[in-house]
Amino acid sequence: MQKFFSNKKLIILMVILIVTFGLLAVTVNIRDNKDTPPAVQQVGNDVVSVVGGVFAYPTNALKNVSSEFSDLYNTYTENKHLKARIDELSQNKVKLQVVQEENKKLKEELKLDATLTDYSTVNASVLSRSPSSWQSYLTINRGSTSGLKKNMPVMSGKGLIGRIIEVDKISSKVELISTNNELNDKFASEIMGDNNNSITGVVSRYDSDSGKLVMENVNDTKSIKKGQRVMTSGLGGVTPRGLYIGKVYGIKKDNYGMTNSVYITPAAELRNFTVVTIIKSQVSGER
Amino acid sequence: MNIKTQKIVGQVIFVLLAFYLDGLMKWAFLNNMNTGNFMILPQIMLMAIVLLSMRIDNRRHLLTYGIIFGVMYDSYYFGIIGLYTVLLPLIMIGIDHFKFLFIKANIGYELSIYFLALTFLQTGIYVLERLLQQTSTDVLDFITYVLGPTLLWNMIVFFVLYIPLANLSDWLVKYRRENK
Repeated sequence: MQKFFSNKKLIILMVILIVTFGLLAVTVNIRDNKDTPPAVQQVGNDVVSVVGGVFAYPTNALKNVSSEFSDLYNTYTENKHLKARIDELSQNKVKLQVVQEENKKLKEELKLDATLTDYSTVNASVLSRSPSSWQSYLTINRGSTSGLKKNMPVMSGKGLIGRIIEVDKISSKVELISTNNELNDKFASEIMGDNNNSITGVVSRYDSDSGKLVMENVNDTKSIKKGQRVMTSGLGGVTPRGLYIGKVYGIKKDNYGMTNSVYITPAAELRNFTVVTIIKSQVSGER
Repeated sequence: MNIKTQKIVGQVIFVLLAFYLDGLMKWAFLNNMNTGNFMILPQIMLMAIVLLSMRIDNRRHLLTYGIIFGVMYDSYYFGIIGLYTVLLPLIMIGIDHFKFLFIKANIGYELSIYFLALTFLQTGIYVLERLLQQTSTDVLDFITYVLGPTLLWNMIVFFVLYIPLANLSDWLVKYRRENK
């Protein structure tokens, strides 16, 4: 015994092992259980993110410029295409306005304060992306002072990109929808059918080989067609209804032939954006 | 502020810049979120750390750097504390322990040390995350899609940036060498 404790290197090794696994286990558990990380970590992350902002803004500006160049390149063909659709759009816009007005009045009549489709938004700009293979997080420059909470969905210009996983005071982390994580990242969603019958399911995984999102637990696959739109269904409470996810790409049976999974082409091009929108649902569901 | 503090401030700023560059590079041009399997992880901070630990002789000093920057990296980028916090100081101590073997630091030595450090770091992270069930990637996929591309990219960047970075870190540590 005497000899064992006199071996300094062995003891150091032991301490290192204990500290490693202790720290890891504690932080993983805290992250899953509590709403926010401990105050010290919050303050630390905020300080780091504030300084990081100094470097992030020029980078984002550069990124915007480069995407503008690629936009410019496509302008001619895009313009042709868009011209064809512009009449349709203005028609739809007027229609939407009327319907929204009507919807508001009907809600007042029914004394409904907020339904699953009501939400408010917060804009934030992206500071960095984690250089890590399995935690694909974005750091954004808004936090709990702007009213963000854990699990709120996050959109980029075109569609859903992920969900907030950690909230600090003035910064937070967004877990991307493309993370292949068993525990998180599940969105209750529905496919808009032809005759207003919606097919519900859960977008639960990301297939990194094909770059498609995978929707599972689908209740009916017969009427699903390629190109139909997929959006969040608002079931489950955290995510409001009607956030656009993508289009149906195809249906595949799983290895046992038991269930069908629907493959979805994500709408958000997860590449060229510098600003994200956080969706705050006005209906709070069960936690 | 005496020259010793100035040099230390310089070293800290050097590593901090590299720290932010990691995240920004991943965000700005290695941002393959929905195309491709390959994952390239920029590890500029590890370059700075390796170059500094080849030059700084004070082991306690190295350990402090390792732990502080490790905690920052973990907390800011990973959200799990204990990956870089442990692996980074281990790498620095390891380099410090074996650097007497090299007569003079040159690009070949430092490139190979960086290679070993990067492999150790990525493998360590993979093993720890696998243990904690943060990932379900198997070993072959990890080597092909993560470790391989990451090593390749970082080696090229290290090679390109070696001369300015090495001169900079020489200059940042020089004072200590003369006073030895």
